[in-house]
Amino acid sequence: MPRLGIVIIGLGGVGSILSERLCRFLNFSKDLTADILLVDGDEYETKNFERQEFTRMGNKADIKATELTMKFSNIRFDIFEAFISKDNINEVIMEGDIVFLCVDNHKSRMIVSNYCKELKNITLISGGNEYTDGNVQIYLRKGGKDLTPDLCAYHPEIQNPDDKLPDEMSCQELSESEPQLYFTNLGVATFMCWSFYNVVVREEYERSEVYFDILNMTADAKIRTVV
Amino acid sequence: MGLCFTREELEERTAKDLKRLCVDELGLVGMSKKPKDEVVSAILNNFAMAPKGEGDAPATIAPLKGPSTSNAKEITGIEFAARSIMTKPSARKGDKTTTTIHVSCGASSGNFPVAGKTVKEVGDFLREVLNVDELSTGIVNGNAVDADYKLKEGDNLEYLKPAGKKG
Repeated sequence: MPRLGIVIIGLGGVGSILSERLCRFLNFSKDLTADILLVDGDEYETKNFERQEFTRMGNKADIKATELTMKFSNIRFDIFEAFISKDNINEVIMEGDIVFLCVDNHKSRMIVSNYCKELKNITLISGGNEYTDGNVQIYLRKGGKDLTPDLCAYHPEIQNPDDKLPDEMSCQELSESEPQLYFTNLGVATFMCWSFYNVVVREEYERSEVYFDILNMTADAKIRTVV
Repeated sequence: MGLCFTREELEERTAKDLKRLCVDELGLVGMSKKPKDEVVSAILNNFAMAPKGEGDAPATIAPLKGPSTSNAKEITGIEFAARSIMTKPSARKGDKTTTTIHVSCGASSGNFPVAGKTVKEVGDFLREVLNVDELSTGIVNGNAVDADYKLKEGDNLEYLKPAGKKG
């Protein structure tokens, strides 16, 4: 049975939901199993109650790994208790990994996308949202060749981010997070799971980006050429 | 075949009739929940955007007819020529032959009779309907194009929407 190397970067509103759904699928799959690395330098706090799924306070990667280990015994978990950065990314992402990028800033997306471009084989599934809409991108690279566009190719706002990494933010900036809707995080997590199913299980990647909008009750997947 | 209306003629019609006109005759979608005055404006804008052929006569204002009771200039009629959006004149009567192009921005999309128009013109026209940002890049059939690219039958146009930042 193939053992997938999976990395989940960011365990906030999207990552905490995604990790539970992904692990349930993998743990009971007849064809797949996985080693999963959970990455987050953030602490679970009372302000996260309305959107994030944890059972106690503390480092999010640590708590989530403990929770998932108790539920899903066929999966091996490891943790990395820090925010992703240029300095530590080579300790987190390895050749052939499947990376779920669930962060809340474009600078982290740019760093991870650029790093993945240097690898020969990588599957990167990245999600993000505003209050009531969101999108998911799939960056697939095999044998040193891009099969889908990287995260920056069609998104100048990721290529030239105007935001900061969590490590670069002051305590006040970190505490002033904009409100988010649980259902929108849930939508992103769901489309990331759909992306995983299409790319990894079905080996189908023609549609490499999807947008959804809760207010209009719509979703639209895009076919993008590699630039 | 040409369709032409004045604002007054459109305003005399019922909202339901105008919405049917949008969908059946003009291929304008997204009007079902709009107020009547917005629907009228959208229809007039649609005609204003129609490409001008060589033989098209310029719009002219008809001379004032009848006695005037005040100094104000009353416009009693507007005479102009509009080119049809029908692209297959040989089609049988009743056939739906309007050429539409799939246009999307983010999760919003629709089919619109915009063949022959530039990416910029369509972006301006559909800004509110599809929530198109003024600085958004146009992607035609998966490739980035200039704002003055003229759309052809069979093209698929997407206006890039920024990725969600939070998570």
